[in-house]
Amino acid sequence: MKTRLLLIALIVVLSSALIFLIAFWEPLPPATIAAAPPHARPATAAKPAGGDFTLHGAQGPVSLADYRGKVVLLYFGYTYCPDVCPTSLALIAQALSGLAATEQQQVQAFFISVDPRRDSAERLQEYAPFFHPTLIGLSGTPQEIARVAAQYGASYQAQPPNAQEQYSVDHSSATYLIDTQGKLALTLPHASTSAQLLAAIREHLAAPVAAR
Amino acid sequence: MRLHPALIILAAALTLPLPTLGSETSETDLTIAGAYVRMVPPGTPNSAAFMTISNRGSSDRKLIQAASPVARKVELHTHLNDQGMMRMRQVADIEIKAGAQTELKPGGYHVMLLDLQQPLQEGDSVALTLRFDDGSTKEIDAAVRKPQTEMKAQDTPAQGAMKH
Repeated sequence: MKTRLLLIALIVVLSSALIFLIAFWEPLPPATIAAAPPHARPATAAKPAGGDFTLHGAQGPVSLADYRGKVVLLYFGYTYCPDVCPTSLALIAQALSGLAATEQQQVQAFFISVDPRRDSAERLQEYAPFFHPTLIGLSGTPQEIARVAAQYGASYQAQPPNAQEQYSVDHSSATYLIDTQGKLALTLPHASTSAQLLAAIREHLAAPVAAR
Repeated sequence: MRLHPALIILAAALTLPLPTLGSETSETDLTIAGAYVRMVPPGTPNSAAFMTISNRGSSDRKLIQAASPVARKVELHTHLNDQGMMRMRQVADIEIKAGAQTELKPGGYHVMLLDLQQPLQEGDSVALTLRFDDGSTKEIDAAVRKPQTEMKAQDTPAQGAMKH
């Protein structure tokens, strides 16, 4: 009986410790999220080369090659995304709105869906202009999307669906800046401010041909 | 099965609601400020609510559940930035430590509204019921805001270090 009581006492102490741990151990303090190295990428996407691609807009195929002479922004996400994508797209939109009209004409931003199963080009056309009238949504076959994502070092992974067949998609949240020559010039990490985005766009717009 | 009673105690101890160990808290110890729901593009089924919850009490509190008539399902979520990969995950609760505040904000904790039952327009007000681990509930009205508007309102750099 005595050993049993001791055992129970031990269990209670251990349980209390466990409860304390559960109550006070914070696996996800906001600081951890903020402190994550901005440029860290999965090793598989070490040095993305960028490059041309053709995907599908609501009006038909859209090719990066048609945008030479413009600064192009790419953001990979999906329309069911409740938080990260709207936040990032709003920041991009804010940066675009900060440009003068003449500058805006030299910039094109694309939202590429990493969830083409749910995001048709038509759906994306309904979605993207909410953020900025010039933002274009692009879809494609899963293979096409995967290829473009790999080119730019974007990663994503659909999560198992819940009982209602709904699922979220983990995805990288960088904004890729392609210069007027069609080359991937800059990868802006998640949560870059609109001021940082604006400065990056201007930097790549600025260079008048004569000055080079 | 010598360990059997021990296991039962362990299980019982684990399911014991933590706050019952602490002191009684009155509902007024918790205040909610700046609550808003993000307006989403037409046809978008999901949105999120953000707010700051302050706890002036002497014991830690947890937000354990939320509900709203505008959504079929409401969950508590957080985001994990895993080497640039944003992983959204459901959480069982969101803690508000004694004498501190917890921010639910873009890229972090949020109340996720799934399967919206009606389109949300800017200027609308969304009723939210928040339930805490001491059994208390709070009814709040959250304004619907466009993401562009909410960003101007915050006017601080988003989380994430300035690089330059």
